[in-house]
Amino acid sequence: MSVVLDRPSVNTPVIHEAGKVSFALMSNSKDDTTAPADIETAEAEPEARAVDVRSLFEEQAIPFMDQLYAAGLRMTRNPADAADLVQETFVKAFAAFGQFQQGTNLKAWLYRILTNTFINNYRKKQRDPYQGTIDELEDWQLGGAESVTQGRSTRSAEAEAIDHLPDSAVKDALQAIPEDFRMAVYFADVEGFSYQEIADIMKSPVGTVMSRLHRGRRMLRDLLSEYALERGINTSGTRANQPATTGSKKK
Amino acid sequence: MTDCGCEKAKAELEEYLHNELAKADAADIAEHMAHCEDCTREAHVGTVLTQAVQRACRETAPSDLRDQVLARLREVQSTH
Ligand SMILES: [Zn+2]
Repeated sequence: MSVVLDRPSVNTPVIHEAGKVSFALMSNSKDDTTAPADIETAEAEPEARAVDVRSLFEEQAIPFMDQLYAAGLRMTRNPADAADLVQETFVKAFAAFGQFQQGTNLKAWLYRILTNTFINNYRKKQRDPYQGTIDELEDWQLGGAESVTQGRSTRSAEAEAIDHLPDSAVKDALQAIPEDFRMAVYFADVEGFSYQEIADIMKSPVGTVMSRLHRGRRMLRDLLSEYALERGINTSGTRANQPATTGSKKK
Repeated sequence: MTDCGCEKAKAELEEYLHNELAKADAADIAEHMAHCEDCTREAHVGTVLTQAVQRACRETAPSDLRDQVLARLREVQSTH
């Protein structure tokens, strides 16, 4: 059995296989256990337990890699740093996996480690000067927090325009807003975390999270509407200086 | 014109869209939406914005990252 384990595999290792291997090993040394992910089996011999913990981690945590990488990209703004950040996060998470309480939110736990690692290792070298006091800034200092667009026909056109923007425009807009706002939006809208979970991940009060999320989304919306307008995607049936010639409403 | 719930709906829209309201409050907003086109449109913009962000943020980690991570884990474990 251990020969199978030690042999370098030619294929990309698959979590499922790792799970099976450890299961086979466990059932050899102990009585039959039901599932490879069952941690109660971890009382066997030390090596067997070590293999089991790793396969448990691989099975539970590694599937979040794409998501963590996506978040890492939004944080670091470049693929190489994002990959390093994710790798560092998994190594730390694995080292601390014993402290993770099975049955609690593993995704949130991983994101907390990702965020801490980012703050400690990467943020320093790319900090913009007013980051950190950003929450105290007034909306007018951030620019564009007031809604540019009003009125009903405008709003449905605005929704339509945002809906048709290329992903690259949305990414650019995300990169353009302050980091704490960007990540609040990311955690809420992409990951669907609750305000409380985001507060835990970002180590900030819930009220701060709320404000970051609102302001971040407001800025994003304005940037995207602006972009759509520049590209001639109609968002503004009511804009005075814009003849309503574009868009879906043809006479 | 009297306020028929628009103020409350607009003030709590973000919390409504993010499922942060208590059931009763969410039900109030939903009921208001059913009769208010303006708030419905505003909510629609919010929903579309969320979807646009979700779409744009879909990523796949580089294929070698997975192998690197798994190798690191094995390495870390063997040094214990
Ligand atoms: Zn209304």
